[in-house]
Amino acid sequence: MPEVLKPDSLKILNNPSQEPQWREDFPIRWENDHYVTRRELAKFLTLGSAFLVIANVVMAFFGKFRGAEQYPRAFVANASAIPESGSMLFRYPTDRDPCILVRAKSGELRAYSQTCTHLSCAVVHRAQDGVLSCPCHMGLFSETEGRPVAGPPIRPLPRILLDQQGDQVFAIGVEV
Amino acid sequence: METRQQGQTMFTGILLLIGTVIIVQLWLVGASMDALLANETEILIPAAIISFLGLLMNAGLLYYIHDFDKRVRRSNPAR
Repeated sequence: MPEVLKPDSLKILNNPSQEPQWREDFPIRWENDHYVTRRELAKFLTLGSAFLVIANVVMAFFGKFRGAEQYPRAFVANASAIPESGSMLFRYPTDRDPCILVRAKSGELRAYSQTCTHLSCAVVHRAQDGVLSCPCHMGLFSETEGRPVAGPPIRPLPRILLDQQGDQVFAIGVEV
Repeated sequence: METRQQGQTMFTGILLLIGTVIIVQLWLVGASMDALLANETEILIPAAIISFLGLLMNAGLLYYIHDFDKRVRRSNPAR
């Protein structure tokens, strides 16, 4: 007489000590499911924590070993060409970096990146108020220090370091 | 209160602690990235150290959970 294949449940009835085949694929009992999930979540979160530490360490590594940037010395303008409360646009250190040279009310020459630190619009000189103004969101920067004084920007404008030789003004670096 | 109910309350607290530490670590990563782009490199190493301390705390809590489970299983082998 041919052997009749019985379903797993019948096998268990015949032999209660034997686990059904599907138990291998679904080893967690219903009542333990909640219990296990919390532990898995804790493990997952701790793994994520480890990745965040790695990200921090990589950034610290880059910050420590990144060499100081070398900037070229570039002629900007003749100082006599900038009148009191006047300004002039130039590009430094590359042709893709717009900058602005201003003569502050005190008579000193200052230069900054023209890119607003909020959303990268171009700032313009408002000599009557002694500020550099971003027309996009009305961010204002001090013309003497480049620090934000009003509006959404929170970081100062990168300052272009200047070297004046007689009447000639040269850009020699960028101070972020 | 049964051991399991106590354990659930405790694990909820532990998960909240781990989650809080991770939020602090996420903030540290964001702040570090901002500082790196602004060339303010002096805060990067302290941020990495604090983040590592957070990881140690999370690992300690995870170890405590495993240790707790072991003790419960030892005292009640049926679970």
